Amino acid sequence: MTTYQFFTTAWTWNSIVLILSAVALVGYFLAFGQRGRPLYFAAAAVVFLLALISPFSALANGYLFSAHMVQHILLVLIVPALLVLSLPQSFSLRSPITHPLIGWIAGVGAMWLWHAPTLCNAAATSRTVSAIQTTSLLIMGSLFWWQVLAPREEQRLSPLAGIIYLFTACTACSVLGIILTFAPVSICPVYQHPVDRLGILSTIRGDWGLTSDRDQQIGGLLMWVPMCAIYATAILAQLARWHSSPEPEQSNA
Amino acid sequence: MNGTTTIAEFRDAILDPAKRAHYRLAWLSTVDHKRIGVLYMLTGLFFFIVGGVEALFIRLQLAVPNNHLLHPDTFNKLFTLHGTTMIFLVAMPLLFGFVNYVLPLQIGARDMAFPRLNAFGFWCQPFGGILLHFSILAGGAPAVGWFSYAPLSETPYSSTPGIDYWAIAIFVLGLGTISFAVNTITTVISCRGPGMTMRRLPLFTWMNFINSFLILIALPVLNAGLAMILIDRQLEGHFFLPFRGGSAVLWQHIFWAFGHPEVYIVVLPAFGMVSEIIPVFSRKPIFGYEFVAASTVAIVVLSSLVWGHHMFTVGMGRPMDLFFIITSMLIAIPTGVKVLNWSATMFGGRIRFDVPMLFCIAFLIQFTFAGLTGISHASAALDWQTKNSYFLVGHFHFVFVGAIVFAMLGALPYWFPKMSGRMMSESLGRWTFWLWVIGFNMTFIIQHVLGLYGMPRRIFTYPDIPGWGWMNMLSTIGVFFMSAGSLVLLWNVAHSLFRGRVAGDNPWNAWTLEWATTSPPQHENFVALPPIHSRRPLWDVANPDRPDPVVGDDQVVLPDHNKTGILAFIFSEVGFFGTLILAYLYFYAHPQAGPGPKGLDVPRTLIFSVCLFASSFTFWRSEVALTKQRRGSMLGWLGLTIALGGVFLVGQVNEYWKLFQTGVDLSTNMFSTTFFTLTGFHGLHVLIGLIVLLIFLWVAWEGDFASSRPGSAFKAAGYYWHFVDVVWVFVLLTVYILPLMR
Amino acid sequence: MLQHAINPRQGAEKGKQVCKVPTMQTSNALDPQSPQARAIYDLAIPSTIIFALIFVIVTGAIIYAILSFRGRAGEPDPKQIPGNRKVEIAWTIIPFLIVILLLVMTISAMNRADPPPAPSPDLVVTGHQFWWQVDYPGSGAITANEIHIPTGKALSVRLESKDVLHEFWVPELTRKMSNVPGQPNHIWLQADKPGTYIGQCSEFCGTQHAWMRIVVVADEPSKFEEWQRAQLLPGQAPKSDATAKGLALFQTSTCINCHAIRGAAGADLRVAPDLTHVASRKQLAAGILENTPANMRLWLKSPQHIKPGALMPDFNLTDEQLDQLSAYLSTLQ
Repeated sequence: MTTYQFFTTAWTWNSIVLILSAVALVGYFLAFGQRGRPLYFAAAAVVFLLALISPFSALANGYLFSAHMVQHILLVLIVPALLVLSLPQSFSLRSPITHPLIGWIAGVGAMWLWHAPTLCNAAATSRTVSAIQTTSLLIMGSLFWWQVLAPREEQRLSPLAGIIYLFTACTACSVLGIILTFAPVSICPVYQHPVDRLGILSTIRGDWGLTSDRDQQIGGLLMWVPMCAIYATAILAQLARWHSSPEPEQSNA
Repeated sequence: MNGTTTIAEFRDAILDPAKRAHYRLAWLSTVDHKRIGVLYMLTGLFFFIVGGVEALFIRLQLAVPNNHLLHPDTFNKLFTLHGTTMIFLVAMPLLFGFVNYVLPLQIGARDMAFPRLNAFGFWCQPFGGILLHFSILAGGAPAVGWFSYAPLSETPYSSTPGIDYWAIAIFVLGLGTISFAVNTITTVISCRGPGMTMRRLPLFTWMNFINSFLILIALPVLNAGLAMILIDRQLEGHFFLPFRGGSAVLWQHIFWAFGHPEVYIVVLPAFGMVSEIIPVFSRKPIFGYEFVAASTVAIVVLSSLVWGHHMFTVGMGRPMDLFFIITSMLIAIPTGVKVLNWSATMFGGRIRFDVPMLFCIAFLIQFTFAGLTGISHASAALDWQTKNSYFLVGHFHFVFVGAIVFAMLGALPYWFPKMSGRMMSESLGRWTFWLWVIGFNMTFIIQHVLGLYGMPRRIFTYPDIPGWGWMNMLSTIGVFFMSAGSLVLLWNVAHSLFRGRVAGDNPWNAWTLEWATTSPPQHENFVALPPIHSRRPLWDVANPDRPDPVVGDDQVVLPDHNKTGILAFIFSEVGFFGTLILAYLYFYAHPQAGPGPKGLDVPRTLIFSVCLFASSFTFWRSEVALTKQRRGSMLGWLGLTIALGGVFLVGQVNEYWKLFQTGVDLSTNMFSTTFFTLTGFHGLHVLIGLIVLLIFLWVAWEGDFASSRPGSAFKAAGYYWHFVDVVWVFVLLTVYILPLMR
Repeated sequence: MLQHAINPRQGAEKGKQVCKVPTMQTSNALDPQSPQARAIYDLAIPSTIIFALIFVIVTGAIIYAILSFRGRAGEPDPKQIPGNRKVEIAWTIIPFLIVILLLVMTISAMNRADPPPAPSPDLVVTGHQFWWQVDYPGSGAITANEIHIPTGKALSVRLESKDVLHEFWVPELTRKMSNVPGQPNHIWLQADKPGTYIGQCSEFCGTQHAWMRIVVVADEPSKFEEWQRAQLLPGQAPKSDATAKGLALFQTSTCINCHAIRGAAGADLRVAPDLTHVASRKQLAAGILENTPANMRLWLKSPQHIKPGALMPDFNLTDEQLDQLSAYLSTLQ
């Protein structure tokens, strides 16, 4: 089929995902009512749905490694950040899981873990594993972002520590990105020989010019550069926060 | 004499024979940051003359077509030495010299955090320089360009040892630079005066602080690459020899992953200088401090992502080209925006056109030009015509000379009064300025045109193509103006040392803390510090009616300097081991015939690994015992740590031995080369750690652990030891476990 | 400039120590002669205008500041302005937009200048220290340093290297591309009009990197076919006594270890330029000498004297041997 046909017809109206999103939306309003920041939550929901039901998701499910990577980035970085940002000002969480080290390992680990060849393959072929992957990405991503986006100032890392936290995470993901970019096509074997359920493979290989080599390369580059850009933006936001922390009383010493 | 400082005293002392002898030793053995700063600058100045003479001969050879002034081989050696010298032996020491002198003063500190490390870092400079130039006597200088592309730099094509000297010299210089960066980071974090919070740091300090992180990211990658090229050349490895399974392009990736951050490493201190001078001479604070500070961080993050723009013609594939184009264009934004901030600082000011300001104005215009030609290189399509041509040569000289040298030429008359107590001559300074402006622009603007007219770089001569002759001649003539300007400068420095007008504490009415003490500063810098509530403490003192807004709160938190220092060092090791692991993985993904990871004895290695991991546990117990002042327990656990580490090393030696017995050594195939390199360097780090621990054991045995100061150093050693373990986890996973997962 | 300029200093006097270097043609990136080079040029002009505007605005602002805000000694300090957030954001966003524009323009130019290669190449150019090996896989023709192409057709060129990194650059016709040992690269080579276009190796490759020049001769397709047919013929047999002795010398000395003359003798190893039609080329030794019998003799007398560091050693031939050998080689049209 043509590109246009593909983008207009390949929407997967995944009922489970839709129902869960609706439940989450309702749950959010019940829990937080007006105190929350509903716009962020709505944005999170929209991005989540786009990642999972748009034609894009069809590409990610077994066709293109690079599309899978975009989905990954959305699910582990963008949606969780929006979720944490949507929490109300008064929300507080004191638990061992909010230790910075856990957050860091969760965020970085989520990326590395799901790119082990067996796990990557499994997630692309089995719906159960894919569901587990999505859930884990959301949770681990949220744990990661909690350290810098938690609603209460004292539960976040100090701005400078936050910068180190983000920078080291960026480096760790860059290393994986570099490996993926330069490795031969074997990280996620299922994408090398996609099963052409939708009849789109010739368009991908032909019109779009995406061979499996190029696809993996792009996937690696996406993990590397745009992810780093997201981290870099977060770092700059930390700096801005640092510089605008409230001035003390003018003591005229 | 108790280490009272610098040039004023030196000047008095050399006139007295009795004091002369003492002074020689005092300068050679100094650990005072001010003297070390001066030593850095003197070394840099010396090599500037060397590098300049090299440039002069290059331009003389190129002045006319078909010239025979120099043998082609001589020319090739000259441009190799010129590039290497100017970057590693001139730009870096001169800049670090300024930082060494001024930074501790700006934060109200007595000295750098690690004075002896500071001296070590300095002495790497002259030794590295001597090593590099010794190659001339030992078979010939290297002749492959300052970035030594493989395979030309490999033994089959360059058999004389010049490149080996080059690699080892740069490694030594790199060690000095890394020490300097560790020291700078620790000084800024752990040695600030009361009230000097991180948000109140002057921009010169802030930029050099952030720059130091970039040094720690980039230099170790170079070190890994140098190790690999030396292994290729001396131990028959094949990292970069395509016809033996290696990759020529891999060298380029590794080198430029260092090389591009390197150019930011030299430009950020220059930015810092300009960020101090322009506000003072415009009589206004910098426009948009927060943005300038934040853009520095953005540059550091981005500069690790742009290196591929040096490789647009190597054939990386369109997707990779594209990503590097995007990042390279993006980095222009924080860089360019700074120019706007500096210019806006001048608006509404009352500009004084003293010599430092003149050089900064030239800097602004020249750097803008350099940045724009830089963006043209970020556009791969344009780069496909201009790269490796004189257009590129013009571009990078506009950055190195037009921006960095000009910033230093402005910083010298600015801080010279503080260092020596005397002002430099204004009129001689203006002569220097105009000679340099005319000479520099004459030499380098025309080179952009030459490049567009098809002249490649690194050619010892050229045919009589229309235009090339007169353009090259013009370019050569400019060199004489720059040389004249340099001579005037040298004369100015020498003359002003003895006859300059006395400067006083604050001749420029500047606002940062270095001006709050005598010129030159006394021993340990400050008798007393003014109150610090804003970014310009001396402005507040001079203008109590309109002080700067208070910045943040007054609480200064100073983490332990040993911990900061070792963490900074560990941060640098990440780049080193990261590069080696990535190189291993690269060749693992392109397997060759011959031995492979399947031939390794994994269970045995796991047993020895457990010993190593256990040693981290025993070290922790030893630390706990130290805090509880239980000497015997501490010694016991420490001894056990050393023993376990030793067992690991024995196990590794044993593994190597077994491999050698089966005929597998470094040169067998790419797996063996990368395997021995990676595990070998890890083993070396274990060995060094063991030596450090043995020293602690000896000191503890002698009973010198009463106070807590050794405790903090002991903890720092612990961080290093645990880090070595963490690296081994990654090596284990990558080399031993990964093949089992297939 | 497309003239066949001849260097007046080419006269070969025995023992004279002058490098008789040919051609005074330009190799001007600002004078594109092919669609690929034009694509890059079409990007360069608007980009340069943008850059020039930015430079003029910034420099203008600086000069304005210098002229308008001069201070005098003793004056009080002016109003201390720490910054302006709106201005900062504006002058961050505007460069960002310019960057996006440049990016789009760049991608378009890259696609036009460097489309994906053909499945099999029309031309293979292999870099050696310090000469270019040129193969035509279609016809089997082999030559060195001088590339003939038909006008009006885009040729897919594969670039390789037998030793170190080299880089192929003919500014008026195409982008630069490296010859990487172990990794073939591809460019498109095309010329709109007949003529001679020059270029050079642009990746430092050793002592004589400067003299690794490229000559691209574009002919009308019919003329090109003629040239290619001539290249496929074996080397001309000697017709005189001297040239026969020259051939004998070639066959019995070490020449044949490196050089090939089809139909006569020689290595098939491609270690050195193919000499079957050496006399038909415009230049010798990758551009260091104009190709005349006298210069041929000069080269054979002492290659290391003309091009020190070239991989052809001096053979210390006698004067008589030189006469014969150069006479023979000069017949190989």
